[in-house]
Amino acid sequence: MRRSTIVGTRVLIVDDHRPFRAVARELLERAGYVVSGEAADAAEALDAVAADAPDAVLLDVQLPDRDGFAVATELAAGDGPAVVLISSRQADDYGRRVETCGARGFISKSKLSAAAFAALLE
Amino acid sequence: MASTVLRASPSRKVRGDPVLLLPVVVAAGLAVGRLGLHGDVSGMRVAADLALSWTLVAAALAVRERPRWRRAGWLLATASFAVLGADLVWAASNALWTLGFLLEGLWAALLVHLVLAFPDGRPWSRVAQIAISGAYVATLGGQLVGAFVDPNTRDVLGFAPHETVAHNVDRAQETTAMVAGLVVLVLVVRRLRVLGGPSRRAQGPLLVAAAVTASSAVFCLGWVIATDSASLALETIVRAVAVSMPLGIVAGIVWSRLRRPELSELVVELPTGAGGMRERLARALGDPTLEVVYRLADGRSVDATGRPVSLPHGTDRTVTAVTAGGEEIAALVHDPALLDEPALVESVRATAGLVLENERLAAEVRSQLAEVRASRGRIVAAADAERRRIERDLHDGAQQRLVTLSVALGLEAARADPAAADVLSRAQDDVEGALVELRELARGIHPALLRDEGLEAAVEALARRAPLPVTVHGTVGGRLSDPIELAAYFVVSEALTNVVKHASATEASVLLERETAALQVAVVDDGIGGARVRPGSGLTGLRDRLEALDATLTLESEAARGTTVRASIPCGS
Repeated sequence: MRRSTIVGTRVLIVDDHRPFRAVARELLERAGYVVSGEAADAAEALDAVAADAPDAVLLDVQLPDRDGFAVATELAAGDGPAVVLISSRQADDYGRRVETCGARGFISKSKLSAAAFAALLE
Repeated sequence: MASTVLRASPSRKVRGDPVLLLPVVVAAGLAVGRLGLHGDVSGMRVAADLALSWTLVAAALAVRERPRWRRAGWLLATASFAVLGADLVWAASNALWTLGFLLEGLWAALLVHLVLAFPDGRPWSRVAQIAISGAYVATLGGQLVGAFVDPNTRDVLGFAPHETVAHNVDRAQETTAMVAGLVVLVLVVRRLRVLGGPSRRAQGPLLVAAAVTASSAVFCLGWVIATDSASLALETIVRAVAVSMPLGIVAGIVWSRLRRPELSELVVELPTGAGGMRERLARALGDPTLEVVYRLADGRSVDATGRPVSLPHGTDRTVTAVTAGGEEIAALVHDPALLDEPALVESVRATAGLVLENERLAAEVRSQLAEVRASRGRIVAAADAERRRIERDLHDGAQQRLVTLSVALGLEAARADPAAADVLSRAQDDVEGALVELRELARGIHPALLRDEGLEAAVEALARRAPLPVTVHGTVGGRLSDPIELAAYFVVSEALTNVVKHASATEASVLLERETAALQVAVVDDGIGGARVRPGSGLTGLRDRLEALDATLTLESEAARGTTVRASIPCGS
């Protein structure tokens, strides 16, 4: 995804760890994304998607109420936003769930970059 | 010295002794015989009544030795009188004739009561209770109504003589009696089929006699109803057949005595192994259903293998406690008929008390062993829960902070001047290194993938992460319990770690196979072999976890022929 297509892409950040949401927001905004909102759990995330209709969701796997795979599956079922899963664990730790949940892909949180995010959205 | 305490099933107390009746019954019998022989009565009938009456009283005397049968004794004695009482119709006095008329058939109702409440006087079932009541109502009630309407001029109660009504009362009585006879027949046959052991020996002859008597009564009543005619000959036949019932009772007592157990074998052969004493006691007492329950010092009841058991309630099983030195050491759960020979249980006390005490101690040890095993399982489970908590804490705490720090460092590096960017990048690399180590640590403590996705997925992830080619074969067919999955996972994880560290192998394979009762796990490599389980090694550390599951771990490792680690983990069916 070139910068021209990134600019203006609206992203919802879902993570229960506030400091991480802050650095993720800065990282994405610096690359030209528009952060449409933040959510700390699955329920907030689904509400925010319904209210703001973001283009993409950066979704943490481990949320306090439901896991990210379930949320990704629910969003994939409708004509929802593209979902990129993130976790402080590695994709390996989740077996085949990453491939089968309907998400565009998975980024280990410590490897999160605008380029990696953009590559999965292409 | 041990002593036994009998805890018999509760039964209503019946006082008195039928032996006092003996001379009265004999005298009454002789009087009735004289009446009959002077009247217009067949000698056969007189003989049948005397035989029935006297064998009934003889049986009443025979059952005196069995405390539980006292009520049966009184029923037998009363029936003996009732037989003679009905013969008062041979007397010259009209009042006596009427009394005899009223008592006609009472003996049969008493015998129905005797059989259906044998041996302890409690009716076998609700149906038996109804049949007994029906028999009394049909005989006593029927005769009383009959007396009011009987046209016989000797009937002093015949206030409303009416030929047709009297005839109908007779028919109704005969029909009711025939139904009662059929019910008795069915109940007796069913009882014969379910009774076993000592009860069958003691009660069998009476039940057979009752079945024969009921059959003959049903046949005769059917004949009377069909031909609409009374028959003195048929009545005589039924009475003669009924003699088999008191004889059956005596035969049961004799049969029980003949099969009196050979307790000597209890002391000659000491039992070997758990439960040996049960087999021996069951054989010696002639009760294959006998169970031995041991009382532990902490109040629990266990069988010979140490498994907890509960004592039965109800009347079809009896519990006899065996005490030694004032302490209850065991309880015999057995056929209630054994209580009829208290001397028997006393003999068991004398011959088997010491052996029972020894078996109790052995059962206690087995029970404690089972408790230790269960306790070890609980300790492992508690440790696993703690591991899971630590893994989650690491993930939610340190890992999250380091991840955020790493991303933040990357952001700062991007906008810093080159010198500062270099420092920040190296710091980010260090944080990344710490994260990698932390992830490995967390996986080793409790693998999240195992918890979420099960054994196959977790083992495949182990294989993918191994620095040499590892293939995974087989399937476990769904999820297993947490302890089993964790044990299997740690076996594979530890074995693969050893392959990487020590085996100099080029490849390895993992086999997971779920059999009916066990999960088989094998890790095979093509390395240098010669491995052994050393104290303090990782495999040794798995021992508690595996033993808590009754699992086995084997190591095959010949020099230059690779190494195979196998675990067999019981997992039920």
